[in-house]
Amino acid sequence: MESTLAGTRTRAKATAPEPSQARGWLTALARDHRREIALTVAAGSAVGVFTVLLMAMLAWIIHQAIITQVTTEALLPWFAATALVMALRALAQGLQARTTALASHRIRARVRQQLTESWRRAGPVSLKAHSAATLASEWLDQVEALHGYFARFLPQMMLCGLVPILILLVVLSQDWLAAVFLLLSAPLIPLFMALVGMGAERVNQQHFEVLGRLSGQFLDKVRALSTLQLFGATEQAAASLQSRSDTFRSVTMKTLKVAFLSSAVLEFFASVAIAVVAMYIGFGLLGYIAFGPAEELTLFSGLFVLLLAPEFFQPLRQLAQNYHDRAAALGAATLLLGRLDNPAPGVEAPAISANSRTASNDIRLNRVTVCYDPQKPVLDRVNLTIKQGQCLVLQGPSGGGKSTLLNVLAGFVPPNEGTVTVFGQVPGHQPFGWLGQSPYLLQGSWADNLRLVRPNATEQDIHQALALAGLTSQVSARKSGIHSHVSELGQGLSGGQARRLSLARVFLADYGLVLLDEPTAGLDPASQQDIRAALARLKAAGKTLVLASHHDSLLALADQVVRVDNGKIVDG
Amino acid sequence: MAELKPWLQLILKQRRRLFVGALLLLLTLLSGLGLLALSGWFITATAVTGLLWASGVFASLNIYVPGGGIRLFAVARTVSRYLERVYNHDTVLRLLSAVRIRMFRELAAISQTQRTRLQGSDWMIRLTGDLDAMDALYLRLIAPSGLALSISALLVLVAYVWLSPTLALSVAGALALAFLVATVLLHWRNRQQAAERTVQLGWHRNRAIQYLEGQAEVTAAGLSGQLAETLCTGAETLSHTQWQVDQRIGWHQALATFLVHLGALLALWFGLQLHAGDTLSGPVAVALPLAILGLVEVYTLLPDAFGQLGATVASAGRLNRDCAFQTDRPPAGQGRPAAGQWEKVSISNLVIRTGTGPAILDGFSLEVPLGQWLGIVGQSGGGKSSLADAVAGVGEVSGGHIRGPSGASEIAYLTQRTVLLHDSVRNNLVPDGRPMADDRLWRVLAMVGLADRIARMPAQLDAWLGPYGTTLSGGEGRRLALARVLLSEASLIVLDEPFTGLDKATQASICQQLPGWLESRTVIALAHSPSALPPMDRIIHLG
Repeated sequence: MESTLAGTRTRAKATAPEPSQARGWLTALARDHRREIALTVAAGSAVGVFTVLLMAMLAWIIHQAIITQVTTEALLPWFAATALVMALRALAQGLQARTTALASHRIRARVRQQLTESWRRAGPVSLKAHSAATLASEWLDQVEALHGYFARFLPQMMLCGLVPILILLVVLSQDWLAAVFLLLSAPLIPLFMALVGMGAERVNQQHFEVLGRLSGQFLDKVRALSTLQLFGATEQAAASLQSRSDTFRSVTMKTLKVAFLSSAVLEFFASVAIAVVAMYIGFGLLGYIAFGPAEELTLFSGLFVLLLAPEFFQPLRQLAQNYHDRAAALGAATLLLGRLDNPAPGVEAPAISANSRTASNDIRLNRVTVCYDPQKPVLDRVNLTIKQGQCLVLQGPSGGGKSTLLNVLAGFVPPNEGTVTVFGQVPGHQPFGWLGQSPYLLQGSWADNLRLVRPNATEQDIHQALALAGLTSQVSARKSGIHSHVSELGQGLSGGQARRLSLARVFLADYGLVLLDEPTAGLDPASQQDIRAALARLKAAGKTLVLASHHDSLLALADQVVRVDNGKIVDG
Repeated sequence: MAELKPWLQLILKQRRRLFVGALLLLLTLLSGLGLLALSGWFITATAVTGLLWASGVFASLNIYVPGGGIRLFAVARTVSRYLERVYNHDTVLRLLSAVRIRMFRELAAISQTQRTRLQGSDWMIRLTGDLDAMDALYLRLIAPSGLALSISALLVLVAYVWLSPTLALSVAGALALAFLVATVLLHWRNRQQAAERTVQLGWHRNRAIQYLEGQAEVTAAGLSGQLAETLCTGAETLSHTQWQVDQRIGWHQALATFLVHLGALLALWFGLQLHAGDTLSGPVAVALPLAILGLVEVYTLLPDAFGQLGATVASAGRLNRDCAFQTDRPPAGQGRPAAGQWEKVSISNLVIRTGTGPAILDGFSLEVPLGQWLGIVGQSGGGKSSLADAVAGVGEVSGGHIRGPSGASEIAYLTQRTVLLHDSVRNNLVPDGRPMADDRLWRVLAMVGLADRIARMPAQLDAWLGPYGTTLSGGEGRRLALARVLLSEASLIVLDEPFTGLDKATQASICQQLPGWLESRTVIALAHSPSALPPMDRIIHLG
């Protein structure tokens, strides 16, 4: 009981991780791939270096041509060198794009792997609590949302700390007063970043909320379209969509008007810095400024500094544009972390003590207790022994614990207390046959469905398994035989046929143990008869069968009948 | 590309807004170019003048006009950028709702049977993504390419008229090449991979869903790890394709930037030659290359949009197909006699078939006289719901015909699946917005036993249901859906499993009041057993 309470507590915490946890997780992921990210930053820095070089050469050519009056023909080598630097700069930019996506590619692959591992840890029973579509969307779309953070935001963030400093140093070497003008805005850079961050975050939040609401309204209306048509209400719905999106828009725009101010401030400083530097250099060149380094200004140094001024702010402006990547990734990270952190029941499975791990020929449950709610155990100190090759039928009211008992035998639900051994080992150690209430059919042929459990089965094996499950006539009636398509929802396949297909899997894979939950529920008498015959063949082949059933028709197969009621075994 | 036409037409309806937005964009970019070009001009001019002064030559330079110009451009760039962002964001939000409302109207014009292929969560996810792509058409695709073309043309024209044709044409060549690299060529290289992405995404999504749904079987077979690995490998292939697409975008961006830079270098080369020949002043020879350098800002926007254009076109194609811009679709509730002229519902030789399987109903015939209450009882999966759909005029019929009332005004249908709108209680009760006295709403709510529950909500009839509001339980939702049907004035009421999820007492209480409320109307109710039906005049068994 203690462990269950602890479990629920951690679970409650894990479903809603703090934003700081999400940030920490993203940082840790980045740390594991710091080589790729470092490459990106290196390429980005190279772009910065070549940009500085390019501006210097342009300024030098202009200086040479206009002040020193060198002919253009004489400057041809300089032009060629400048074109080369331009090409090198483009090369570095291309390489940056290449490495930038690489880190994200690897990180996403890793997170996907972690997710599938967490699914496996959680096991089929606890996964049923979530729709498969939601889980699949997390695995695909949410992981995809991490891309922008690792590919764009993070490298850009690092470049913001490198490139402006490089430019500042270069400007300092040309004219310290111009550098002071830029430096004056440098202490403001952290402030800018905060401003940009705050503004961008608010824009994002608002934007996504409105998008979410609008898109939610739209999808809801589409989902309810049949009903709306039935009540002749589609025009009304379109009108309400219109009026609601107008309201959303006007509310959003109010916030956005304020939020955009922060980027306007950044834009303003960048523009003013260029203007101030231009005026300072112009007046300095005219000799109007009689102090500081202004007297040493040349057209070269003046133009060079001017050309560098916008580049000083460029990384920050780029970062502001990439800010939404961060917000999207944080949202996804919070969600994914909640999924990954979910303590898996499978992990807590009590280890089997050495002395019980003997070569045993039976299945043993020793004081097995399972409870989701500590007040009301689903299974209460159950003792049970099933001999190999026997057939045990579980009876009892629905909700009495039959399915849980099957899940415990399958290893899908670990007992909170007590031990289970299946032929001397932990449940699930050996492959076994599982027939749930709704058999799982995949989109594909009959052969694909059978090969699900034994990928290397030959056609002959498949035909034989189908024959044992009593499906030969159904399959041979189809045009392409075992290669004909079994559609997903079992359309074109009756409930009885679908169950027998699952049974055919069991015959094909040749499992020692087969667990069946209500194998005949909802079937007509003829289908029930077919299933019973197939089960009898399984038993005759020496398989151990455990089945939960309401139907008395299966009792004939039973070597042992057990009644499970209220979590307890009432021998029947 | 023809796929984009209907969406471009929709966007172009906002012509005035698009024009103002584009103008603001242009103003922002021009101010930026102007700031850099004028600053370069100013510095060169002052350097030349300063040199002349130093050598004792008298020269005059008006420093106030360019100084004022620089300040003006600096302020104009900031202000127009801010205005542009606010204005264009507003436009995008408008387009966003226009796109969705158009899509909704198109979907609403298709009858339910024709829409069946458009169901499932996968379709919804795809639809959302596809619509997002249409939202981005203007700001990501149209505006930047229009901007790049117009401002490049402007610069080239200015150079042609005032400087030299050679200079102008060589710059034009470099910029045209940059434009091609950033747009057409990139689209050409990426179009297939970008277009296939959504389809592949859907395929991998289905694989993941299959894996999750079959996890019990797969785990039991001991194959869970192996299949999970296959799944991850598949996703990695997908992500690898995306990597290639992204890489090409990056390389084309780099190449386009290089070409714009080259254009600036060419302008400098020819400008300096003109300067050496004394036909062009030094400051002007410097200003133009600097302005061209500023073009990089707009050219780097293009590859992002054009690298994904293949996906955008594919999205448009799917949306066009889904809402089927075709004329040959029959309206919902087809081929029934005109309203108000029926004395009985008569079904003759009805055949219903789903997919290619055997018929669910084969040669079913039935007559229900006006005012009769008929119960139809049958096993689940026996075709009850398909029959109910057919009677209500929304289901697919493979043979035979049904005569009787038609349309929303004459038939009220409680479907087996409870569908509530994320909307107020009132709009859930009267979705078509007919004026309806509160008093009547409360009476029907009392009848289905929901009056107390709704009265306890702070906003009562205007309380919001669904996300951001109250969530009703399954039984409560069922009763609200029933109340919605009971508020209809229709003469034929079709109820499919009306009491799902209701306890015995509530069901009994509703059954008692139903005959009074629905007096003189024709009711066809379907259920799995007679006990799940209100008292009927006649009950038939299906199958």
